[in-house]
Amino acid sequence: MFENAEPFAWLILLPPLVAAGIIAMFTRHSRRLSAQISISAVIISFVTTVILFGILRASGADSLRPTSINWLWIGDLAVDISLKLDHLSLAMALVVTGVGGLIHIYSAGYMRGDRAYGRYFACLSLFMFSMLGIVLADNFVMMFIFWELVGVSSYLLIGFWYEKEAAGDACKKAFLCNRIGDAGFLLGILLVWSMFGSVSFAEVKPAVAAYLAAHGGTTTMLFLAGLLIFCGAVGKSAQFPLHVWLPDAMEGPTPVSALIHAATMVAAGVYMLCRVYFLLEPSGALPVIAWVGGFTALLAAVIAVQQNDIKRILAYSTLSQLGYMVMAVGVGGPAAAMFHLTTHAFFKALLFLGAGSVIHALHHEQNIWRMGALKNKMPVTYWTFMAGTLALCGFPPLSGFYSKDGILSAALNSHQIGLFILGVVVAMLTTFYMFRLALVVFYGGEKSDAAGHAHESPRIMIWPLRVLAVLSIIGGFIGIGTLYASEFNAEGAVPSMGFAAQLLEPFSASPLGALFGLFAVILGFSMTFACYRGRVTDPLPEKLGWLSRAMRNRFYFDEFYERILIPCTQEAAAKLADAFDRWIIFGIVRLSAGCTDLFGRALRQVQSGSLQGYAFTLVLGVAIVLYFVLVK
Amino acid sequence: MSILTYIIGWPLVAAFLLCLVPRDYKFVMRLVAVVVTFIVMVLAVKMFWQFDNNAEGFQYEQHATWVRSLGIGYHVGVDGLNAGLILMGAVVAFAASLVSWEIREREKEFYILLLVMTGGILGAFASLDLFFFYFFHELALVPTFIMIGVWGRGENKNYATFQITLYLSLGALISLVGLIALYLRSGANTFDIVELTNHVRQNPLSTADQGFIFPLLLFGFGILISLWPFHTWAPLGYGSAPTPTAMLHAGVLKKFGLYGLLRIALPLMPGAVAQWAHVIAWLCLGNILYCGMVAMRQKNLNWLIGYSSVAHMGFVFLGIASFNLIGVTGAVLVMIAHGFLAALTFALSGYLEKQTGTLEIAQLGGLLRRLPFVGCVLIMAMFAGCGLPGFANFAGEVTVFFGAWKKFNLITSLAVWSALVIGAVYMTRAIRGILHGPLPDKWMAVVESTWPLRKVPYLVLLTSLLVFGFFPGLLVDKIKPAVARILPVQSASAARPATGTTMALADQRR
Repeated sequence: MFENAEPFAWLILLPPLVAAGIIAMFTRHSRRLSAQISISAVIISFVTTVILFGILRASGADSLRPTSINWLWIGDLAVDISLKLDHLSLAMALVVTGVGGLIHIYSAGYMRGDRAYGRYFACLSLFMFSMLGIVLADNFVMMFIFWELVGVSSYLLIGFWYEKEAAGDACKKAFLCNRIGDAGFLLGILLVWSMFGSVSFAEVKPAVAAYLAAHGGTTTMLFLAGLLIFCGAVGKSAQFPLHVWLPDAMEGPTPVSALIHAATMVAAGVYMLCRVYFLLEPSGALPVIAWVGGFTALLAAVIAVQQNDIKRILAYSTLSQLGYMVMAVGVGGPAAAMFHLTTHAFFKALLFLGAGSVIHALHHEQNIWRMGALKNKMPVTYWTFMAGTLALCGFPPLSGFYSKDGILSAALNSHQIGLFILGVVVAMLTTFYMFRLALVVFYGGEKSDAAGHAHESPRIMIWPLRVLAVLSIIGGFIGIGTLYASEFNAEGAVPSMGFAAQLLEPFSASPLGALFGLFAVILGFSMTFACYRGRVTDPLPEKLGWLSRAMRNRFYFDEFYERILIPCTQEAAAKLADAFDRWIIFGIVRLSAGCTDLFGRALRQVQSGSLQGYAFTLVLGVAIVLYFVLVK
Repeated sequence: MSILTYIIGWPLVAAFLLCLVPRDYKFVMRLVAVVVTFIVMVLAVKMFWQFDNNAEGFQYEQHATWVRSLGIGYHVGVDGLNAGLILMGAVVAFAASLVSWEIREREKEFYILLLVMTGGILGAFASLDLFFFYFFHELALVPTFIMIGVWGRGENKNYATFQITLYLSLGALISLVGLIALYLRSGANTFDIVELTNHVRQNPLSTADQGFIFPLLLFGFGILISLWPFHTWAPLGYGSAPTPTAMLHAGVLKKFGLYGLLRIALPLMPGAVAQWAHVIAWLCLGNILYCGMVAMRQKNLNWLIGYSSVAHMGFVFLGIASFNLIGVTGAVLVMIAHGFLAALTFALSGYLEKQTGTLEIAQLGGLLRRLPFVGCVLIMAMFAGCGLPGFANFAGEVTVFFGAWKKFNLITSLAVWSALVIGAVYMTRAIRGILHGPLPDKWMAVVESTWPLRKVPYLVLLTSLLVFGFFPGLLVDKIKPAVARILPVQSASAARPATGTTMALADQRR
């Protein structure tokens, strides 16, 4: 009875677009209706995804038949808007619509007082549409199309409070950083197309195998293609050196930070890398990817230690975790990357929403040193936030422990000890800064008046927290890991395990990784406890000195880009071009016009109207002619 | 009579009738202009809708001999190359005549010139006779100069009129020399483009003739299209032109040169095109990269849009230089998309200037709060301008990149950088400067017009961009066969799939 379920897949992609269109055109001013339309759309998408995912699991096939419409077809360039329905895309769509749906509901409470409630939901729906497009894309160009749309919806949402200077600057910066990565991505797509004659994943995959067989291994061109496509992920997933936009993106409303800049959009880069893993693996670009990811993870974790804005700490934590995922892809563990992406979506969305709940209760106070003692005033927020913190740190048996272990053991399996040690250090730092945050915000004395008057958030904001907390706790042992593992395992399906076996899987599969991970968590926790218990101010700046200052100032990357790199390259070239245009090209045009004008003026002198002058010229002419005729 | 004759004829007849209306009847004149351009737009949509994608040759043809001895005749018709252009021209003309509400002096002359310009533009695109092709272009060009001179804006008005007149006349003159040389050297003794093409296909022009005529057409038309380094007239002229004129010229009339290259130079002189391809590709980089960077430095919105419009022309040149099915089809797509976009952006900047009295970006700010509708449309136009999917420009630009990639790796890479990054830099800077940020006190009083008719021109143009952005197939399926006909036979069959699967897929599609 489910043979022809594929066309229903459009019900995943299209409802958010329709909702965005309706809200933007008609119901923008009706607050309640706009929220309802937007939330209904995401629920329709979610339910359809669940049904299709069920059908796919029941059928036991690799994927459902793609359903497609032709978008552009010229010669040997064929681009379809076509939905890929395999385990990977549907599982990712579940995460996006599930977490996204909860954040939609939360937003309805969080944004209640805002002037542009309708615009907010229109943008949110546009974002859902674009993100689902990336997830379901079955060719490079379609992925690029939605890739760009995600960029612009993120621009609109970061700049939601556009009247603030900081928000206006932040959305511009985010869009431009993304665009730099996209330029590389598009070049990579062009290169792939010219090498393999197609942009469709399904057609490129065998072509890559044939290419490798023909060339006896990787080539420079293939390496270049892999690297250029990775550029796209560097922009979207905010990897070094384009990591600077993500912390600034926190200028957007907090639910947006949770949805776009933690759970989904920034994870799109990782998803894309996993999607085109068949191309990256033989291209030889994996070591580059691994080290870029590892470096980003470390850099961001170090910076996070000395941030004081609750959202910025979480933003750097996101950066660091994204680096982790990218590193996982680089060490040959796309399944581990996807697993961590999923659990990270649960707990990071939870943490951001929890932070939003705190910020909401404190009337938009974001400095953690002006909070404190919120444990009893906001019990639900406190408990769920702690669940998210423990999951992020990788405390067994919470979800983060399992997914992080997957990455560490993938690093071990690929025999890259350097990256393994780096991963353990990052895990320790993560525990350190997260417990610093939790201790300062929820324990100790009230550090400001606002913290004294705080009270729990409304129910519509609390329930999404509870659901996400449950998912963060159980996400590690409900079969998500095995689902991804069987998707990327060449030998076929991974045997499904019993509940107890899943619970203990890390210790049996890779005891070294699990023990080191556990050790890092315990070490990080004890260090935080020693440093921050009962503190009213941060003791680290005194102890670390200039290092702390550098960490607080993000190692001066933004300053370096804004004052040195950009002015010396692109801006300098633009200045040069402008000067050349203004003085040389325009000058030549003016000069030639001027010469013509001068010539005309000179000739006008001859036409004086004086008869004597004419007679004189005439005689002179005759004399000259006579001279030539007679004398010569 | 062909529907095309009505499309060309209505505006010209209306212009003549307006001469007879007393100059106090301002409302009547506005009404006539709007209604006539609306009818023309409806006819153009009908023409486009009923266009048969699979038909060979030209459609809606009409032929009337005029000077038999020279082979001149009135001959109109459409194929995939000009169907979209005529539709675009008609839509822009309608939007421009609506925007002309802002003209408050000498309305009579203005509307007459506007209608003449509209008729001329549409005639130039519909003509299949070299004589009328050129004649209609001049018919549209001359009103442009007068309109800038009389109704222009800013203190540079006179100098702008002076420069644009001289520059464009020079370009038109050079291309005229080229066209006449073509007529003489072909030996076909006809101005009819169809007959001429068939004749030249049978008896190709000698290499020497091609090498002499092609540069004349390239640079003659190139001046009209603001090919680098002949681009300085464009930002200057558009900065000073009244809004409707800037819309019609930047959007539609400027495409005449490109259309001439596609319709005449490419099919008749394939050898010369191949020789000059590298030169064109490097010159187009002057447009795309260099003018893009100059646009980054502009402090006035109109100049910024002007330079960005020059930069966009580079994509068309890149597509032409690639000289294959994908590239040239993409070039035509960009022409049409840019027509809508340029008209939209100039309409918006005109509105902004009417509201605030300035277009200096540094003086504006925070206006999205006061101008929610126009601000939103401006943001969308800016994103369309930096190639956001969903708008027609993306479809065109990405097609051009695919077409040019195999031939010009380096140039395409730089063009991609410019399209994605440099374009985004100046567009987001403009949004940041004009619409975002705190609202200065002096703009507190700015109010958006609530009259629905004021929104129509923006909505019509925006809808067109979105429709062709979502469904580029509407244009591509018409353009593709026409482009295949103008390309030399071997490169027309561009289908060289690398793998068996693609071959099978391509077969299946056919």
